[in-house]
Amino acid sequence: MKKLNNSKLALTLGTSIGLAMVAGSAMAQDCTTKIGAVLPTSVDWGRPIAETAQFAVDQVNAAGGVAGCEIEMVLRDTQVDPKVGVDAAKALVDLDGVQVLLGAVSSGVSMPILTSVSVPSNVMQMSCCSSSTAFTKLAEEGNTDGLFFRTFATTGVQAAVGAKVAADQGFSSVAILYKNDDWGQDLNNLIARDFEALGITVTASVAINDGQPSYRAEVTQALSGSPEALYLGLYPAEGTAAVREWLSLGGTQNMIMANSLKSDDFRENVGLQYLGSALGTDTASPRVASADAFVAAYIDRFDSEPNGPGLANSYDATMIALLAMEAAGKDATGDQIAASVASVTDPNGTPVTADTAGFAAARDVLAGGGTVMYQGATGNVRFDANGDVSAPAVVWKFTEGGTEEVQYLSLTEVDDFIASLN
Amino acid sequence: MIQHMLDGILVGAILSLGATGLTMVMHMLRFANFSHAELLSIGAYSALVFDAIFKSALPVFATQIGPLSMTLALGLAMILAMGITGASAVLFDRLVFRRVREKGDELSMVFASFGLALIIRNAIGLIFGLHTKLYSQDIVFATVLSRDPLLLVKPDQLATLGIALVIILALHLTLSRTNFGFALRAVAENPNLAQVNGINLQKMIVTVWVLGGGLAALAGVFYGLSNQITPTIGRDLVLPIFAATIVGGIGSIYGALLGGFIVGLAANLALLILPSGYSPSVPFLIILAVLLIRPNGLFGEART
Repeated sequence: MKKLNNSKLALTLGTSIGLAMVAGSAMAQDCTTKIGAVLPTSVDWGRPIAETAQFAVDQVNAAGGVAGCEIEMVLRDTQVDPKVGVDAAKALVDLDGVQVLLGAVSSGVSMPILTSVSVPSNVMQMSCCSSSTAFTKLAEEGNTDGLFFRTFATTGVQAAVGAKVAADQGFSSVAILYKNDDWGQDLNNLIARDFEALGITVTASVAINDGQPSYRAEVTQALSGSPEALYLGLYPAEGTAAVREWLSLGGTQNMIMANSLKSDDFRENVGLQYLGSALGTDTASPRVASADAFVAAYIDRFDSEPNGPGLANSYDATMIALLAMEAAGKDATGDQIAASVASVTDPNGTPVTADTAGFAAARDVLAGGGTVMYQGATGNVRFDANGDVSAPAVVWKFTEGGTEEVQYLSLTEVDDFIASLN
Repeated sequence: MIQHMLDGILVGAILSLGATGLTMVMHMLRFANFSHAELLSIGAYSALVFDAIFKSALPVFATQIGPLSMTLALGLAMILAMGITGASAVLFDRLVFRRVREKGDELSMVFASFGLALIIRNAIGLIFGLHTKLYSQDIVFATVLSRDPLLLVKPDQLATLGIALVIILALHLTLSRTNFGFALRAVAENPNLAQVNGINLQKMIVTVWVLGGGLAALAGVFYGLSNQITPTIGRDLVLPIFAATIVGGIGSIYGALLGGFIVGLAANLALLILPSGYSPSVPFLIILAVLLIRPNGLFGEART
């Protein structure tokens, strides 16, 4: 208890000092605007995600808050449980009257919050970490009312880059082996569509179940169309078995692998001598100054590297939501805030940095009727029509010691490529 | 079609070996032994250990036999693994099943076997790790039997099938031609009557465990040879093996042998009409169909 009080005191002190430092430029804050956060703070990796969101809120408050009001982030735990998450979101909207919800982390929690709280209550929802393409589908069907955004790349990036590798290598026909779960089925549907868009024939799409006595029949099926290359959306265990079977039956060594196969087990058990023409794909953190700046600021604040999952994404989700609130003006409703997201992530807008000074600069530009381009922890965030973002990607291959990068695709390159597919 | 049938027969050979041991134990001790498939894991892993020992002690054994990925070292390791697995089956009976048999009923035995299966599986995971292991890192390429229709066969699989068929023949001759075989069948038919006729029941039980364990070890090694070795071999194979046993009729050794091939064939041929995502359902469907149409299996007899 004593310790808690001490740390609380330290935090208050720190905040006051921070406030005092910028007091000269800050506007008078005589009001408070609440935003809601529904995050799994009861699990160990969820806590830092929430702290990172609060970090962004603190920076914005240091810049004088949003539309002249101080921001208070009301945080509620989802316990990674859809029911708890929906209750928490409902309470935030109904009792605290928030117009913005940050969260949740798991797609399975974010989805019911979106459909049963955010959309019916006309509240903007910004998730840091949900990757399911079910959200894209929902948005395409027009059921999100444009209220949903996320700063985490979908499986679509992985699929698109896989298809790009096949096209770059000049393969005209590909067979797909995919893991028979939500992720694998999603990936299979996406990449099959991308291959088609690039004019590459998919000779077979075969689902692979875990722990089967033999993958012979599945592999035989994939072999039957004599494809030039094989796409693998598998995990190492069944991936090893299926690929060994594939090779022993004379299948091609031209393979394209999802990031799930970036594993020493897979490399050793299949054998490096057979993986010479195998290329893998993965999403990567952006190699831009703004991402490095976030890392430095994070270390400064938390005394540790932002290594946990979704931290950079959580920071950007919060920052963009607050920028959009600033752009939408005082007492804006959820749909107005959502509509303003485009004006703060405009690729032609004035670049602003992700910190206190950046927020203050953005306020001036927005007040003058301009638009800004937010340069955040995950790079220059740009949402598509469905509220999705993409991410930079790498192409890798196996080497003696592990893996080696073959090619880095910047966010712009990935975005342009995905755009060319549609 | 022909390729799928061929694949089915090759998988079926492994299932047959596993099911034979299971059916004998189930018939004689009258309980469904869910830990039987774990004996395959024990066999596969002990062969892995002996194989490594032989290879390092006598490098001359490490050369491959003809076109196979199997080495002389693995052949010897396999025989030792059969012994070890048989012995552990007897040990499990002493430690667990005999005690439960004396106090509890059939259902207690079933639960005990579930528990034992979990313990064995996790102990193996603890000792060897959860990673995939292989007898040989090399990939043996399949031989093309025919170009049109395309027929591919791996030498290892043919060798596996050959050995399995020889073992099955030996088993058949033992059961049908020797006193030991008659005694075994007598005990399976009616333990009390067999004892009256001077057959040592305890000795017979031990023999059945050793035999069942040995065959399971063989199946485990063959499985590891054609696929890979993981601690979950037992969990993955328990269902197909049970399906084979039920199809053949509990207690019928010939039924179990045939059942293994039927399940292997059905699972492979099912892919011709079912999407591959549904292949794990095939053993369940077979069990359901057999229980509905012929509850005692193909060769089983009704028991009271």
